[in-house]
Amino acid sequence: MESIAAEGLTKRFNGLTAVDDLSFKVEQGEIFGLLGPNGAGKTTTIRMLACLIQPSEGEAYVGGFSVRDDALRVRETIGILTENPSLYERLSAHENLEFFAKAYGVDDPTTRSERIRELMEFFDLWDRRGDRAGTFSKGMKQKLALTRALVHQPRILYLDEPTSGLDPKSAKDIRDLMERLSQREGQTILLSTHRLEDAERLCDRVMIINRGASVSVASPRELRRRATGAHVVRVGLQDLTEPLSRAAEAAEGVKAVEVKGGAFSVTLADEDYTPGLVRSLVDAGGSVMYVVPEEVSLEEAYLKVIGGE
Amino acid sequence: MRWSRALLVFRKDLSEVVRNWEVMAPMIILPVILTVFIPAVVALVPDSMSGSGNGNLMDTIFPNLPEAVREMLSSLPEGLQMTYIMLVYFFAPFFLIIPLMVSGVIASDSFAGEKERKTIEALLAAPFTDSELLMGKILVAFAPAIGATLISFTLYTVMVDALTVGRFGFLLLPNLTWLVMILCLAPAASLMGIGATVIISSRVRGFREAQQLSALMVVPVMALLFGQAAGYIIMGPVTLAVLTVLVLVVDAALFGVGVSVFNRERILSQSH
Repeated sequence: MESIAAEGLTKRFNGLTAVDDLSFKVEQGEIFGLLGPNGAGKTTTIRMLACLIQPSEGEAYVGGFSVRDDALRVRETIGILTENPSLYERLSAHENLEFFAKAYGVDDPTTRSERIRELMEFFDLWDRRGDRAGTFSKGMKQKLALTRALVHQPRILYLDEPTSGLDPKSAKDIRDLMERLSQREGQTILLSTHRLEDAERLCDRVMIINRGASVSVASPRELRRRATGAHVVRVGLQDLTEPLSRAAEAAEGVKAVEVKGGAFSVTLADEDYTPGLVRSLVDAGGSVMYVVPEEVSLEEAYLKVIGGE
Repeated sequence: MRWSRALLVFRKDLSEVVRNWEVMAPMIILPVILTVFIPAVVALVPDSMSGSGNGNLMDTIFPNLPEAVREMLSSLPEGLQMTYIMLVYFFAPFFLIIPLMVSGVIASDSFAGEKERKTIEALLAAPFTDSELLMGKILVAFAPAIGATLISFTLYTVMVDALTVGRFGFLLLPNLTWLVMILCLAPAASLMGIGATVIISSRVRGFREAQQLSALMVVPVMALLFGQAAGYIIMGPVTLAVLTVLVLVVDAALFGVGVSVFNRERILSQSH
């Protein structure tokens, strides 16, 4: 079931096209990443999907509700972590959460206070609940803003740079939480991030946006493979001998063999030829220590896609 | 519109306002000066009211006063006549500054201040309709403005009567003129301050800029003050009722424009 479906989403500001004809679908429980350089249109896309701004053209459905015609229902359905924490700094952390919990319709006081306590304890904020949000560190504000986005248990979450400004432990906690929300609770997450390691670890699929347009939509693994251009495996052997190199070259589906860093780097026509390659090497007397796919990192793939634009 | 949602925004904004000394200080200082300091000086130093400068004021205001008031004042010494005119007529327009100023300061903080502090995006993303947000923010400016005006008026009345009843032998306040001003014109003026600030806030990025521009709303009140001092106008119940109607017409026009500029996209584009 689709949680988000965008069709031809376009936004123009004074003649400048910020988002250009974006079409994509996000399935329930999926973590979908938006990647792109600054000014690519990621935040504008999220704002259109959050009904903060109207699309100039196109349509999107969030949780089955139109962003054009059912803005209030869309807002009730989502939780959003905005680019800035957007906290009321003169109010206490608890007051901030109380306000937003009520705003999102968590009307039962017991449910509300239990939910707030559970989230604040998870983020180690409970002991500071009575302190003004303005006295919090950047990382604590980010955690409080994320707590606010989760307080009403939304079916769909928009997270704009969720691990920005966090220490490694807090960033890991949030990544773990996102995985849990997606896998165990079936929440759909739209993640806009500059941290490619976050996208690589968390996202089922990512969309790379550049100058407002979608450049590529695929899983991180598929993106890396596309950037590599071919299926390359690294084969570690006890001894790298000439006969073994010839045996590898003669194996079915092998396009090239190189010796690189004490192992064979073998370019295959398809990953399905990997078992045959290993069999050929073993038949030729080789002792195979390991076989690993040789792929570019997501960062390299991303830079290649953006650079190729 | 769901009133419970508008009241939620109202309570949240009110909690913020009462903790903001930049907003609270002018709301406290001006009413204290108007309700305690000025009447004390005027009432306790009646001889200072009979100088030549004040004689000019007496000459301009006195002929325009209602017949019954003129007759009553004729039987009083000149110092007391001047005290009466100052306390009952001359200072009255100042009490229109209170609702204008309080509503202007709070509305500036509530609209432009949220943009400046970058708290607006999460609020606009929450499931409130435009009218619920607007109503919550109007209420948070309107209620304290009316509260401050009523408290100031009560304090002023108590101060004036306590300080003058011994010399006049009767209570100067409240009278019909003041009741019309406080209960009718002041709320209308407060709405004018809010309407103007909503429009100003949609055009500026910060609290101070909005506050400075909304302070211009005091100009018509000053015109009223000087108009009365110059003898062109006297603030009686009928004059004030007519003024109330005029201000309400201005309110309607300002709110018409205000509602049209209260647009999520426009507000958001101004906050960056």
